[in-house]
Amino acid sequence: MSGKTNNKDNAQPARSALRTVLIVLAVVVGVVVYAYGWNTTDISLDEIQDQTRKESVRRALRELLSPDIFDRDRDEASFYAQFQVGCPEAGATIEQPEQGDDAYVVFSPSCADQDEIVTVEGYNFPDNAIAMLRLPREGGNNIPFKVMLGSSEDAKASNENIFDVDNSGYFKVHVKVPRHRDLEDGEIYEVEIPTISPTGLPRFSNTTDTVIEKMIETIFLALMATTLAIPVAVALSFFSARNLMRQMRMPLGPVLVGFVLLPVGGAVGYLLLGPLGELGIDWGEDVVPGIIGAIVAIGAYTLITRLAARLELDGLANRARGVVLNFLLLAVIVFTLGVLGGIGIWISDRLEKGLLQDLGEFVGTVGTLIDLMIAVLAAVGGAFWLSSLGSNLAAAPLRYVQEPLSNVLGGVLGFLSGAILLYVTALIGTQAVLLGLLSAVVAAVLGGQCAGLVYERLFMMENGKRQPRRDDTGTEQAVRSAVFVIGAVLAFLLAAYVLDLLRAIVDERPPSKREWDLILGVNVRIYLAQAALLGGVFGGLAGALSGTSVTFPLGMAVYNTSRTILNSLRAIEPLIMGIVFVIWVGVGPFAGVLALTLHSIAALGKLYSEQVENIDAGPIEAVQATGANRLQMIVYGVVPQIVPPYIAFTMYRWDINVRMSTIIGFVGGGGIGFLLQQQINLLRYDQAGVAVLAIAIVVSVLDYASAAIRERIV
Amino acid sequence: MLKIEHLTKVYDNGVVALQDVSFEVPTGQFLVIIGLSGSGKSTLLRCINRLINPTDGRIEWNGIDITNATDEELRLIRRRIGMIFQHFNLVRRSPVITNVLAGRLGYTNPMWSLVNYFSHADRQMALEKLARVGIREKAYNRADELSGGQQQRVGIARALMQEPELMLADEPVASLDPATSHSVMKYLESLNRDDGITILCSLHFLSLARAYADRIIALKDGRIEFDGLPEKIDDQRFRDIYGEDAVRVEIS
Ligand SMILES: Nc1ncnc2c1ncn2[C@@H]1O[C@H](COP(=O)(O)OP(=O)(O)OP(=O)(O)O)[C@@H](O)[C@H]1O
Ligand SMILES: [Mg+2]
Repeated sequence: MSGKTNNKDNAQPARSALRTVLIVLAVVVGVVVYAYGWNTTDISLDEIQDQTRKESVRRALRELLSPDIFDRDRDEASFYAQFQVGCPEAGATIEQPEQGDDAYVVFSPSCADQDEIVTVEGYNFPDNAIAMLRLPREGGNNIPFKVMLGSSEDAKASNENIFDVDNSGYFKVHVKVPRHRDLEDGEIYEVEIPTISPTGLPRFSNTTDTVIEKMIETIFLALMATTLAIPVAVALSFFSARNLMRQMRMPLGPVLVGFVLLPVGGAVGYLLLGPLGELGIDWGEDVVPGIIGAIVAIGAYTLITRLAARLELDGLANRARGVVLNFLLLAVIVFTLGVLGGIGIWISDRLEKGLLQDLGEFVGTVGTLIDLMIAVLAAVGGAFWLSSLGSNLAAAPLRYVQEPLSNVLGGVLGFLSGAILLYVTALIGTQAVLLGLLSAVVAAVLGGQCAGLVYERLFMMENGKRQPRRDDTGTEQAVRSAVFVIGAVLAFLLAAYVLDLLRAIVDERPPSKREWDLILGVNVRIYLAQAALLGGVFGGLAGALSGTSVTFPLGMAVYNTSRTILNSLRAIEPLIMGIVFVIWVGVGPFAGVLALTLHSIAALGKLYSEQVENIDAGPIEAVQATGANRLQMIVYGVVPQIVPPYIAFTMYRWDINVRMSTIIGFVGGGGIGFLLQQQINLLRYDQAGVAVLAIAIVVSVLDYASAAIRERIV
Repeated sequence: MLKIEHLTKVYDNGVVALQDVSFEVPTGQFLVIIGLSGSGKSTLLRCINRLINPTDGRIEWNGIDITNATDEELRLIRRRIGMIFQHFNLVRRSPVITNVLAGRLGYTNPMWSLVNYFSHADRQMALEKLARVGIREKAYNRADELSGGQQQRVGIARALMQEPELMLADEPVASLDPATSHSVMKYLESLNRDDGITILCSLHFLSLARAYADRIIALKDGRIEFDGLPEKIDDQRFRDIYGEDAVRVEIS
């Protein structure tokens, strides 16, 4: 016991010495770091001290703080008086002005030499005007009289030419007679006294009007961006919620069937439903046939479902009925959407003028958008329809498929899936050099999976079954992960070699465009074919090794994908998005809307998904237990719990978007930021002051309002 | 008839919650499952309607293989199995009637139910079920305005909407006081007696189990420790199930 204490005592000085050394070291490192920081950031006391700079910043701040908010009408008038420059021997030779009700000026003395100081008194001038004295000359090069500071005659000269008339129309100033080589002594000059006098009530200045207009634009810009972002963000937030996605697991077989059928279904939808949508648009543009068509379509669908529900079907026939009904529903939706789009276009053509013009334009834009998108929508609808159909139909028989056959099937499906996956990523990769990495990363994941599976086959099997984890010490899992990483790295390198990423990234040249002649005159780009082949090999290997019955964490795959999308979207500064969109759609608020929408999707998606992850799992479990499907589970178990926080975060986002749109405006994204930037470029700091003030007011009001609403809801 | 064969559940973190559990439940039985906290009661019940996927083993119900059902088949199975929970698992912000109607989701057209449309018959049925558990007048209150006992009755009404043949009750009275516990258990008893619904109910208190069970299964560390008539549990058995230090707590 005492030995221990002794030991401690001995260790004490050594340790404290060590600590001292460490502290000193830390201080030294700290000093070096800050010194470097000081230098790289160009911190310079000289600049701060610099007199002219101080003067300019003072002027700028003064202007900023004297915002040009108000204005009134102004009268401009000019009065004239006579003044003799250089007194003759005999004294002034001009007559004193008439002292009536009209404006007149008394110079005392009424003649003076250049640079001499005279006192000027004015009577009956416009009240509260500002005025100056000057000698008008041809060509506009007027010669001003400088006003003296102070009331005495020996006061200092100032740089000012302007003086104030008091509220009874009287002024008294000391001015210096200008010195100019064109002035001749003894000559009598006509002195002009231009005045500007306020009349009428104060009103908002033109600047304020513009600022208000732009502020409204900004608020709506933020509103549009937030609104457009909501649906996408909501969808992504569900996909990015671990608690919802984790439980979505399926046997690999049906998943692969569904995946392979995606492009097939897309083609089917595009070819079959696309024309239907176009037809809907054509009819919708003629309104009456469209409306009748839509009503008939919906009515027929309802009737058919009613009738079909009467039939007592079971097994395969029941399935077939479901399939047909779903396809019909999809067709009706596409057609009706087309009709709505067509009607929208028709409406906008009628409402070209008048009050409803905005409404018409809006409806028209939506209609045109539908027109542009209908084929794509049809393809997407078809893809999901066929894919879910296929995976559902395949699920039942695939359950009974045993070991060797399930591996063969897994291999075939895996080959197709891998090929499709890499073909698509490679297609994206042809667009830009850096995107080529995507294929390699996907290949790496597939390859890593292969390696892990091979390892499992060789070392982790027991009686032909994958070992349950219960006797797993953890080391086997660690080794498996290591094998996965090694496999992934190798696959990445292989993909990089096959796809010639070196050429892409180092030489910055896009993938070669050479093509292979396939049969029937169909050409395939070699780059894409190679990528597809690579994906097929890895996918086939992974599929064959795992078989169709292994559980595939479909939900987590979706989760990781959507998380990645959200995170990379969030990593891009909205300012940069703004620049891109300004290039795309031109300077103006639309660019700002697009940039902020994209950024809001990322930000809201993240915030929303965190809310979903925080909900009470109980209701979800309960709703699932009743036999509800996934969508119903979300609507009844999840949605009621997330509505309040969603509203709160949406408000908050709107508030943030108002602030951000001022910054986006600086790069041409419209709104008040754009105005502010122009004002600053023109050095109109008094106008900029108005904009800054407006932003401050709107932001604090919104901030307060959103906080109040949030408090009430949550 | 519910057949459970060699049921094993190993959670992702390696915890073995159930180990080779086998038993059969004849239709119409009131089976109570007891066991210490962590013995695997909840896991067992959730395996039956596959809220949790078993690691191994087989569950067969009236000739249908639940363990191997596809998602679509599982939905059809689940809608005939009611479930009530210790914490009621109501959507607290929604009205009682919406919570009850949720029990009907397995039967309704998915499209309509997404826009919260239920047929008149379904709404009528919901009110009837609420009347059956004695809280008809609370139908339009928010769920979290109800007391615990009332909330559990909403849970029962929701399960009844499924017109279930089998009812899983996971510690339905664990967060209720003794008197309320009995009233909730009485409803379960009536479902069993009058409607012939098979009931699998997990309970903490042996006295409650004795009062209502036709048969008791005791779990210990994921294995069946006892399976038999309630009166067969003597002091020695009790200590086997609950451990040496356990003292009987009576709930009257
Ligand atoms: N989702 C899960 N992930 C990992 N382990 C879990 C999970 N759920 C439960 N377990 C573990 O499984 C074991 C059995 O849990 P279970 O909830 O079935 O017990 P129980 O008998 O219902 O207990 P209680 O009476 O406390 O409700 C416990 O050891 C628990 O820690
Ligand atoms: Mg439990």
